[in-house]
Amino acid sequence: MPRTLCRFDELREGEARGFGPFEGARTKLFVVRKDGNLYAYWDACPHYGNTPMAWRTDAYLNAAGNRIVCASHGSEFEIETGRCVHGAALGKELTPATIELTSSGEVILKS
Amino acid sequence: MNIVGPDALVFGVDDVGACTKYLTDYGLGPVGVDANGGRFEALDGTAIVVRRRDDPSLPAPLDTNNMLRQTVYGVADQATVNAIGDELARDRQVKRLPDGAVEAADDDGFGLRFQVTVRRKLDMPGERINAPGSQPQRGINQIGVWQEMPAKPRMLSHVVYFVPDLSAGEAFYTNRLGFKITDRLVNAGPFLRPAGARDHHTLFFIQTPPYMKGCEHFAFHLGGPTELMLAGTRFVKAGYQSFWGPGRHKFGSNWFWYFNSPLGCHVEYDADMDVHDDEWEPRAAPNSAEAAQAFLFEYREKWIPGGPPPGGKAEH
Repeated sequence: MPRTLCRFDELREGEARGFGPFEGARTKLFVVRKDGNLYAYWDACPHYGNTPMAWRTDAYLNAAGNRIVCASHGSEFEIETGRCVHGAALGKELTPATIELTSSGEVILKS
Repeated sequence: MNIVGPDALVFGVDDVGACTKYLTDYGLGPVGVDANGGRFEALDGTAIVVRRRDDPSLPAPLDTNNMLRQTVYGVADQATVNAIGDELARDRQVKRLPDGAVEAADDDGFGLRFQVTVRRKLDMPGERINAPGSQPQRGINQIGVWQEMPAKPRMLSHVVYFVPDLSAGEAFYTNRLGFKITDRLVNAGPFLRPAGARDHHTLFFIQTPPYMKGCEHFAFHLGGPTELMLAGTRFVKAGYQSFWGPGRHKFGSNWFWYFNSPLGCHVEYDADMDVHDDEWEPRAAPNSAEAAQAFLFEYREKWIPGGPPPGGKAEH
């Protein structure tokens, strides 16, 4: 069932934010706003497959804000593709979460 | 080679501010810390040192993007530091510093420094328990826990490396530096104890592909399991991400609770590790969830059984 995560204008440019986990799930998801676009992934590093990535609430990005970082072992991922470019999860990708931006500006989790 | 144990770990990080907040909230005391980093000390003076990744004073980085730059070993005396320098100079470059310390790298490129230990002798009780059949350890009218009781890291306990070749790593630390193997998790790696330490391990290896080489985690000793539970609970409540634990390892018997960190590795609280001497016969077990821990729990919010008080409202 679709679920409203937040409003688009609540996410600042270059910001990442985690949501959930929702009932029945153990894994959170996170949304990154970059260059006006939104990217959403499940909070599960593909190195081990199921471990949370932030080191602190909403801390999913590197200091420069241009990569997603797993705070387990420092793997770095492209924000746009979820592809690991450095570190323990090399050759693996984050699992995207399907989100939609409604005409009224709400960010909806589809699945 | 009378190596006492790790005095410090030096990191070159992306985000000094994040690491400063993290290590302070973890319970280490900042010493000489500014926007370029500094030293974060446990009660005995062992420490994590953080600098900017591009700080030219740092030892060379590993050929991965891991942030660990140097493991600093505390040694009993200057003669031993010199002996280590002479031993390593047989086949590698050794830097002898004006302060008497010696720097080199191990066969995998992990930066090492040996110095007369900075550890201060601690004189404070560990956790004391009362049990039938045993004299009370805490004594009459002494309470065991209160919400705000201190739970500070006392001593840098151990560091764990991801290494591409276990046998090479093992050979270097045992043959060249006099470490002893206490136990072995087959397919993960050996637990290593330097000659001047009794702790089950101050160093552990996990074999991985070369692109993962680096620090997997480090740990500080707390005063006991109650302090570990309290410190970990406070850390979770401050917004930090638990990774594994709380639980109790089998090899070493140490209680553990691991967290994610902005240092590119896990950071552990540990407590109540076994101590050994040279009489100990190493054990071996295949690495598995069963072998890694006696039990494992997961944090949850405080909760109390029972419904609302008469006339009260349920919370949900």
